Amino acid sequence: MEKLSSRSENKTGIVSHILLLLSVFVIATCGLIYELIAGTLASYLLGDSITQFSTIIGTYLFAMGIGSWFSKYLDGNLLKWFIRIEILVGLVGGCSAPVLFAIFEHVESFRLILYAFVGMTGVLVGLEIPLLMRILKNNFEFKDLVSNIFTFDYIGGLLASLIFPLVLVPYMGLIRTSLFFGLMNIVVALLLLYKFKETRGYRRHFLVIIIISILVFIVGFAYAERIMAYSESMTFQDKVIYSKSTVYQRIVITKNNRELRLFLNGNLQFSSADEYRYHEALIHPAMQALPHARNAMVLGGGDGLAVRELLKYPQLQSIKLIDLDPGMTSLFTHNQMLAQLNNHSLSSPRVKVINTDAYNWVRNDTTRYDCIIIDFPDPGNYSVGKLYTNSFYKEIYRLLSDDGVVVVQSTSPYIGRRSFWCIDHTIASVGFLTMPYHTYVPSFGEWGYVMATKNHSWRNDGELPEGLRYINAATIRDMMFFPPDMCEVTTDINRLNNQVLVHYFETDWGPYAH
Amino acid sequence: MHTDPIYNRRLFFKKVLAGSGLLAAGMYTACKPRNPLGHIKGSIIGANSQVGHLVRNMASLPAPSRQVTTDVLIIGSGISGLSAKRWLHNHGMNNVMLVEMDDHFGGNAHHGKNEVSAYPWGAHYIPVPDIRNTELLDFLKEINVITAFDASGLPVYNEYYLCMDPEERLFINGLWQEGIVPEAGVPADEKEQFKRFSALVDHYKSAIGTDGKDAFVIPLDNSSADEEFRKLDTISFRQYLLEQGYNSKYLIWYLEYGCKDDYGCNLDNTSAWAGFHYFASRKGKGSNCTSSGVITWPEGNGFLMENLKKLAGDNIISLQLAYDIQESENGVIIKVYDVARKESYTINARKVLIASPQYVNKHLLSAIAAPDRLKAFNDFHYAPWMIANITLKHMPQQRGFPLCWDNVIYGTPSVGYVDANHQDLKNSMKRVLTFYLPLVNDDPDAARRKAHVTPYEHWLEIIAGEMEHAHPGITECIEHADIWVWGHGMIAPRPGFIWGQSRKTVKEPINKKIFFAHTDLSGISIFEEAFYQGIRAAKEISNQSV
Ligand SMILES: Cc1cc2nc3c(=O)[nH]c(=O)nc-3n(C[C@H](O)[C@H](O)[C@H](O)COP(=O)(O)OP(=O)(O)OC[C@H]3O[C@@H](n4cnc5c(N)ncnc54)[C@H](O)[C@@H]3O)c2cc1C
Repeated sequence: MEKLSSRSENKTGIVSHILLLLSVFVIATCGLIYELIAGTLASYLLGDSITQFSTIIGTYLFAMGIGSWFSKYLDGNLLKWFIRIEILVGLVGGCSAPVLFAIFEHVESFRLILYAFVGMTGVLVGLEIPLLMRILKNNFEFKDLVSNIFTFDYIGGLLASLIFPLVLVPYMGLIRTSLFFGLMNIVVALLLLYKFKETRGYRRHFLVIIIISILVFIVGFAYAERIMAYSESMTFQDKVIYSKSTVYQRIVITKNNRELRLFLNGNLQFSSADEYRYHEALIHPAMQALPHARNAMVLGGGDGLAVRELLKYPQLQSIKLIDLDPGMTSLFTHNQMLAQLNNHSLSSPRVKVINTDAYNWVRNDTTRYDCIIIDFPDPGNYSVGKLYTNSFYKEIYRLLSDDGVVVVQSTSPYIGRRSFWCIDHTIASVGFLTMPYHTYVPSFGEWGYVMATKNHSWRNDGELPEGLRYINAATIRDMMFFPPDMCEVTTDINRLNNQVLVHYFETDWGPYAH
Repeated sequence: MHTDPIYNRRLFFKKVLAGSGLLAAGMYTACKPRNPLGHIKGSIIGANSQVGHLVRNMASLPAPSRQVTTDVLIIGSGISGLSAKRWLHNHGMNNVMLVEMDDHFGGNAHHGKNEVSAYPWGAHYIPVPDIRNTELLDFLKEINVITAFDASGLPVYNEYYLCMDPEERLFINGLWQEGIVPEAGVPADEKEQFKRFSALVDHYKSAIGTDGKDAFVIPLDNSSADEEFRKLDTISFRQYLLEQGYNSKYLIWYLEYGCKDDYGCNLDNTSAWAGFHYFASRKGKGSNCTSSGVITWPEGNGFLMENLKKLAGDNIISLQLAYDIQESENGVIIKVYDVARKESYTINARKVLIASPQYVNKHLLSAIAAPDRLKAFNDFHYAPWMIANITLKHMPQQRGFPLCWDNVIYGTPSVGYVDANHQDLKNSMKRVLTFYLPLVNDDPDAARRKAHVTPYEHWLEIIAGEMEHAHPGITECIEHADIWVWGHGMIAPRPGFIWGQSRKTVKEPINKKIFFAHTDLSGISIFEEAFYQGIRAAKEISNQSV
């Protein structure tokens, strides 16, 4: 090393100029990338990209201004300052995306931290160019200096703005991009440290710091997926307005101008734009036939939307809602926007919310119900699959009054054709008469239900509440018709000791999974 | 703003140094060696071998200070003792007393419970029984395990007790697959051997001997005496497989796993007859299950045991160690040590049913047993077991087939673990897993001695080592692990034992006064055999009584 630099003594001048200009190029690219990352991240996580981008850019530029102004207070060994700043930019900018992603779900004042990051990066990036100009001022004429530096600066900017959307985000993701450019800054620091012999005095100290930083970045790079999994907010198209992990599931609510969507573990549960179709179809065919119903039970359905429909029947004196997750029911009781959606159904004096495991509850309950609504998630795994078995429906049979009606949400008869009919057959196997029906819910597609009774008392001539948007007697009649591509197929009965439904569901939905 | 540049630089430098120091410290704490099992609570709780060992040391016990009289005394509250008690109770014999040395009942069907789940400490399931085993079906009907009989007479099983789907999985070649028969990564020619073996099992399942009896059946004593089948008992399962050209390492593993699981033995210490019995005797039928169905509960066979006990009448007393048996003129005199009160007494019984294992009986009967019986005792060998009940915060995230009832890890010493929560319909993140490790050894005495001095931490290392292999990161999730060592867990069906003379000899009653019932009299340890032996002995007693 020693020898090499002395042999090329006369060339050093040119080499170091090129090196410094190359640094300009790299730092310009990095600088813009950090800005783009912050802007993208903010619009992913906070929604409303125009506002996010323009405030982020504004803050960033302003912070750069502060940095530039501050540069005049740096004196003495400028190269050493420059290397120092490179390391800092690398660390702060490089860590920005991973840190912001990781903390998004967990902090109150996310914005504050976001802007602190943007500000810090801006200040440091703002320091870079003025410092560099001062370092190079003795090697160039002023006009060349300015022209060179800004040329490289803007070319770097162009490169950044092109590769960011075209290559980096799609192929590396935000976290890896951020870490990668952090690493670039550090590499610049490392190169300068090695190419300039005047850095010899403090090389060791910096080297330690640089190595540690590189290690951190490599570890971060390897764990990018994990960090990402920490915050899956990016999987949602719309602005995430609420997200929370309860003991049982991950609740995410997104919003755009038109609708509110609820996701449980990433699966869409409803869209406020068309949930009325789903819930009216779930409740009214059964309830219109039960003018004497006194009590009802809803299993699942912690969003309170099924209960909202039930409450339209004044004859019902008590409604029990059994939902595993207190996080879910309390959200839909206390959150203003969501409670508005279910018309404050969960706070009604006629409604009792019980947070417990549905199977356990049903097994131990001895009440007789006139109407039972079963609104569980689709049978995509073995633990939910149990709630669709003949053993479960036997318990339901025991709990239903003689003239009562049960309705079971039964996945899509179009996509999950075998699953749907398996549910129908399983319900029938314990002695129920079943009446399958289906409807179209735009955000779900074709959706199916199975209505079940103990005798032939069900009629489609009851009184429907005022103000329904979808259900009337004709709709109910039409929903019972199954066109050939959804009509009955033979299936096994879903039992606890075979769980065929989970297998059907997997094969039915397999082609639709990503 | 004006700052002193030098001061500024120093400060900067200090900060960077402090920062990187912090970072280094963080990395050190993350990587530094610490006890990775330190967070796991629990202890070795089981195996009350101390009380048991008192039998060997009668002289150290106090002299009897009082007397009790009963018509029949049963020693041991295992499945065999309780079955006998129930049968006698159902047949009008009420002056029957049962003594159990332990502080709990059930012997190997013992079970426990914590806030997460009930769990077994030993036996955990029975296969769907043969419909000809009517005594067993009657009992299962009585306790609502069978809810009804369908039109064709087949039992309808309570579906909360039939093992729920998914039942079994195997960790092999880096992945969890469905089912225990190795599939993933098994070469085609080895699969061929599996097919050949399973065709053979099918043949034996339906094979009938020259005496018109099934080749393999439960209870095992009803099996055919045809030499074609009996000769399988004279050689080890390993030798048999070798002779028949089975050499697939996956098949050999699978069959040895079977021997370990059922008998706690390796292929060398299992007779070929016993090896086939396991597969070929499973001919159960039910209206709502297949012949390979199994019946299980969170507490394992503790469920059956508690129900047997409920139906067995009163006068079942724990913490009473029988330690000596003598004949009297018109009955039997049994010396019993009351473990809690630390005093001895004698029980004068007209008859005694000994439902304790033969390694205990050797001491109990040392004074009165005939020489051939004493000699026969030496042919009873037992496989030691270690059982751990592990409480997890949650199962770590994993790819491959999801958690099942029975979970086996290919190529490890254990026979895997059972998810105690499996039959519990409640949704729960927390789990109790029951981990089964047979202490397979050609010299079980050595294995037993070693097991009794193995410290808790060492057992934990064994368990965590195996579990980590199939579930990276699981150690962190373990909150609690309790351990139980069964010094004499299961009778070993070594070559020649099942159809040899010793088993017959020790089963014989002594002078129509002393009778025997224990699963080891069958030569294999299963619930059905213990149940059968108990009823058989109870019948002998009542016949003699008439
Ligand atoms: C780890 C393990 C797993 C098993 N898994 C299964 C399974 O899944 N399915 C299955 O069917 N079988 C299983 N078994 C077999 C099980 O042993 C039998 O099913 C059955 O429980 C045996 O009952 P038993 O009455 O014959 O014997 P034991 O259970 O041995 O009962 C004997 C009883 O006698 C008592 N006793 C002994 N000496 C004295 C004395 N001197 N005085 C008073 N009392 C005394 C003992 O304390 C004990 O309670 C398993 C066994 C083990 C060890």
